[in-house]
Amino acid sequence: MLLDLRVSFFLALRGILRGSRGSLYLTVLIIAMVFTNMIFMPSIILGFIKVAEDQIITYQTGNILISPHEDELYIEDVFSLLEKINRIPGVLRASAHYGTGVTLRYKGNSLGSTVVAIKPDDERLVTDVYRKMADGDYLADGENDEIIIGIQTSGHKDESLDMGPTLGYLKAGDPVTVEYTNGVRKVYHVKGIIETGSYYADQGAYITWDELESVFGRKVDYATDIIIKTDPDSYEPEVKTQIYRFGIREKVQTWQDILEEAMGRAVQNFAMLNSITIVVSLIIAIVVLFIVIMIKTLNSRRQIGVLKALGVEKSIIIHNYVFQVLILTTLGIIVGTTLVESMVAILTVYPFQFPDGEVTPVVATSDLINNTIMLYIASFIAGYIPAWRVASEDILTAMRS
Amino acid sequence: MIIAENLTRVYDMGKVTVHALRGVSLTIQKGEFVGIMGASGSGKSTLLHLLGLLDKPTEGKIVLGGIDVRTLNERQRTRFRLKRLGYVFQDYALVPELTVEENVYLTSMIRGTSKEEYQAQTFQILDRIGLSDRLTHKHNELSGGQQQRVAIARAMVNKPEILFADEPCANLDSESSRNVLDLFKQINKEMAQTIVMVSHEDWHMEYFDRVIILRDGQIVSDGPPPEELLEKACKYK
Ligand SMILES: Nc1ncnc2c1ncn2[C@@H]1O[C@H](COP(=O)(O)OP(=O)(O)OP(=O)(O)O)[C@@H](O)[C@H]1O
Ligand SMILES: [Mg+2]
Repeated sequence: MLLDLRVSFFLALRGILRGSRGSLYLTVLIIAMVFTNMIFMPSIILGFIKVAEDQIITYQTGNILISPHEDELYIEDVFSLLEKINRIPGVLRASAHYGTGVTLRYKGNSLGSTVVAIKPDDERLVTDVYRKMADGDYLADGENDEIIIGIQTSGHKDESLDMGPTLGYLKAGDPVTVEYTNGVRKVYHVKGIIETGSYYADQGAYITWDELESVFGRKVDYATDIIIKTDPDSYEPEVKTQIYRFGIREKVQTWQDILEEAMGRAVQNFAMLNSITIVVSLIIAIVVLFIVIMIKTLNSRRQIGVLKALGVEKSIIIHNYVFQVLILTTLGIIVGTTLVESMVAILTVYPFQFPDGEVTPVVATSDLINNTIMLYIASFIAGYIPAWRVASEDILTAMRS
Repeated sequence: MIIAENLTRVYDMGKVTVHALRGVSLTIQKGEFVGIMGASGSGKSTLLHLLGLLDKPTEGKIVLGGIDVRTLNERQRTRFRLKRLGYVFQDYALVPELTVEENVYLTSMIRGTSKEEYQAQTFQILDRIGLSDRLTHKHNELSGGQQQRVAIARAMVNKPEILFADEPCANLDSESSRNVLDLFKQINKEMAQTIVMVSHEDWHMEYFDRVIILRDGQIVSDGPPPEELLEKACKYK
């Protein structure tokens, strides 16, 4: 058996190396393309999801988001809750947010928006917005009359970069008027402009908690949400469980929960799209290899008859062609992987620019392995069937062809 | 030794049945060089295929080297051909992707002969037929006569008990044909090689020890080449 396989492999290598060069290169190219197609599309989609994940965690919700119970507007008694949360092992820091609808006015432009009150010292430990000041500076605890605004609200110098209505190129140091729903109307000094690349974060506007209290004219001990940053190696669902142990009624979600809620449908559609791409690719691979081997075997019918007459087992002949497709597939996968890797390398340096940031393809090793296995199975079938058909022919019938 | 008893081969083609062989019996001793001759369609190839285990008789018995071949299953027949029989066909049928030497030792590889051994044997036999300087050539770099000699080397490398050849000279000019026939004769004489060869060229007769002539699937004459035919053939060439 082993000996027979060695002979098959010997024949297969000679068949490929000394067969038609053109057909070899073309077949390998097609397999490479099929493989690239199977890998690349999902890698872009994974890249998308990765960007969404990163941005949600880094600029939006941290690792865990607490929002009010659906029957309520606020999280009450928020500061004692924060203290408790901060003591949970695995929690780096929790930060309270109070978001309120406002109208912003600047030089005749006005824009409905949401201003979020934060404690800057807490917030710095939870989101990375403070690192992303395109102009001016981040807020500091206790500051009054200062506001920082996202660039999609302030507006770019180059209007074509604006993705929605803006205040028309507001800069750090400019005055901006904020009208609250309680009737307070106040001119703020713009302390800084935020530019994170995340559309969500770049639309926001932030003031300090002290400023909020001065606008409301009283202590504010309730929040619209709490965002939490956990240790890099802590497990978010575990922390979530710990928070629930306090007996709070609020809704606690990990970033995975949020992503699931926001993108679950999209992810499902992507998965569907991937499956279709993979099935189509596999069918192309099977058809191409089937035709290649069918032509090879039909051209060699007489040859095969003679070999069988000389006492060569049918299985040796079949395995010869099976090895040939497996070699072609291996070469195709090598070329395909090289292609994918080069495209990934290029796209890492020059990423796709999307509204929500820069997308670089992410190749999942599991996809690489699964697709390789699927392609091998497909090519095995595509080689075996035509080889078996010709090799099973009666010796004399084959020799007379 | 080959013993065939009352071989018949009927091709059932639906409406018509063709009786390719109608009761052929013969015995061929070790070391004989036998020519099977007769007109086109007389059943020469059919007989050779039956004796060479490439086909099965409709009726009759074949004993090769003491074995009643009806007792062999498909796999055993394949093994038998591999280990004990050799074939040369009209159109050489070398594997195009293999070199001369690879073509010759391919079946030795399957037989499990060691590499040193089959390489030595291959060189020896190719040297003997004058092609040892062509070891790594491909079939399309050789003339028809050279290709046929490689095919003979391939059949002979294993020292088969019986060498079967179906019109091995049909595609060759008379000089190449002589080369091939001389080679057969030499192998037959020096190695006591049993050879059964189909031919329809009368002048080939001078090479055979024994000529079996078929007509309509029956043996009409069997014995040393008939003098009168030989003379006619010699004049003709
Ligand atoms: N596969 C087949 N199916 C049907 N009839 C066949 C088949 N093979 C051979 N025959 C018939 O059997 C008879 C003998 O054929 P065979 O090939 O043995 O002749 P041959 O003596 O070798 O002829 P040639 O000199 O032309 O090669 C012919 O009538 C032929 O048509
Ligand atoms: Mg014939």
